[in-house]
Amino acid sequence: MTDILFVLLSFFAIIGALGMVSLHQPVHSALSLILTIIALSGLFALLSASFLFMVQIIIYAGAILTLFIFIIMFLNVKEANLPKEPNKNLTLFLGSLALLPLNFLILRAFYKMPLLTAPLEHDFGKIKPLGMELFTKWLLPFELISILLLVALIGAVVFGRKDEA
Amino acid sequence: MSTISIAVVIINVILALLFSLGAAPILVWIERRVAGLIQDRLGPNRCHINGIRLGGLIQSFADMLKLVFKEDFKAKAIQESFFFSLAPVIVFASAFLSFMVMPFADDLIINGERFIMQGLPMDLGVLWFLALAGLSVYGIMLGGWSSRNKYSLLGAMRAGAQVISYEAAMGLSVVSVLITYGSIHLGDIVAYQGQLLFGFIPAWGIIIQPIAALIFIITAFAEANRTPFDLAEGESEIVGGFHTEYSAMRFGLFFVGEYVAMSASSALIVTLFLGGYHLPYLNTQTLQAYMPFILMVLIVALPLGSWSAMRWIQKHNRWHKANDIRNHESAFLQKGLIGLNVLVIAGVGALLVLGLSETSTNVATAVIQIATFALKLLFMNFVFVWVRWTLPRFRYDQLQTLGWKVLMPLAIANIFISAIIVVARGL
Repeated sequence: MTDILFVLLSFFAIIGALGMVSLHQPVHSALSLILTIIALSGLFALLSASFLFMVQIIIYAGAILTLFIFIIMFLNVKEANLPKEPNKNLTLFLGSLALLPLNFLILRAFYKMPLLTAPLEHDFGKIKPLGMELFTKWLLPFELISILLLVALIGAVVFGRKDEA
Repeated sequence: MSTISIAVVIINVILALLFSLGAAPILVWIERRVAGLIQDRLGPNRCHINGIRLGGLIQSFADMLKLVFKEDFKAKAIQESFFFSLAPVIVFASAFLSFMVMPFADDLIINGERFIMQGLPMDLGVLWFLALAGLSVYGIMLGGWSSRNKYSLLGAMRAGAQVISYEAAMGLSVVSVLITYGSIHLGDIVAYQGQLLFGFIPAWGIIIQPIAALIFIITAFAEANRTPFDLAEGESEIVGGFHTEYSAMRFGLFFVGEYVAMSASSALIVTLFLGGYHLPYLNTQTLQAYMPFILMVLIVALPLGSWSAMRWIQKHNRWHKANDIRNHESAFLQKGLIGLNVLVIAGVGALLVLGLSETSTNVATAVIQIATFALKLLFMNFVFVWVRWTLPRFRYDQLQTLGWKVLMPLAIANIFISAIIVVARGL
């Protein structure tokens, strides 16, 4: 059962990623990305990381991709305004070739990882242990990342606003 | 899986269906009749099956039938027909799924087995609701975009901007509630609300977190796209908004989806702020301890209530022509009431005479709590309808100002204060 789910979810994730890169219309690309993100959240759920599963949907699918689609629809791109893409397949092929070394690196890192054989605790991946870990052991990096995000947010507001306002 | 656990799972799923999908015709009926009440008119009350009108409830079923059998029209200009058909499905499915984590009753214990009384027995609770509320906006945006109609696109844009901005305030108001309750599992949250504050006030969310309750209820109106936040379909400005091009059952899915989403929001408001399935002063333990007395009260109160209802029917629901078809309704309702009384009294009496075992006490508690939850859900839905027919629509800039400049800072301040109080109490 878990294997079937894993295969299905991975299939959808890969299909979505391929569609994201290769589809012509920006809206279709964004929608494929949603497919990938939801499939990935399903994979998190299979790994009993229930908090990540929910957060992936709330943040990525619910907020960020909504903004993407909002902007794309707002621009109302016409078919004639889209750039022509000659030799698209060739470009995609060359691009994937260029990514091969990176893939190799990731696979190598994956196989070097120690195999976890001990059974998980029953509250693994739930919100409480994750929060405890985050706010005790990893407090400083967590706060630093929050400040980084805040700086980026303020920067976007400063750049985006009109001078006289 | 034993037979009992399969039965409980099936009952839970059916209950979730009844409260969300089954509530839709009732909510449409409430909407129309309350609109009539507020605008000083009657509202629909003529549609009948062999004289039985149930105050106009039959009209909603007739409406559903009409939507199902209407011609499924699609304009030729619509090219993205896959997304055009997918959009109502997304709205409907996400509204429907978000109802699945609402607890109808306390965890039911039968023969030592513990069952979570939810459509989907899991403890993600609030997060699940937030996730699906975020997904439902795709349906509206896709529908508006694939309609290739300026009004539809404008409606979709408005809906998108509105849901994104109000989701932020909603999430923040939920955070302060979660700090107070210390759990995201809705069952734990309701169990917390079964306590008493200072020994005599029920510790309902609306009493210990009034600001969060206010913000959450306002944002829930906005998330459900209902007046005063129904800019997505402001009919005086942009025709029908995102569903201008939709007809027949595709429109029907949007229509039902709106009511299911409203019901889900109400269920979450009831669960977070109105004590969930608890009767005031009677949490699960008290209810189980005093179960025989409560059943006796029920045996006395039900015939009295039915008797006064029958008096009312005989006085007000009567036509002087003896062969008037509407007289069937009075007879039908009275027979129904008598039948209900006989059934309930026989059942409860048998329970009392044979003596309450632990399992039957638990089941009776669950039934009483489910009824309480249903009543609170209906009340909250009524509030949704009440607000819709009382307040005028916000202007777009007012909407965004309210969301970002009022609700958001208020929610953040509330988180801050709640966190300080919780920490101070823990010291």
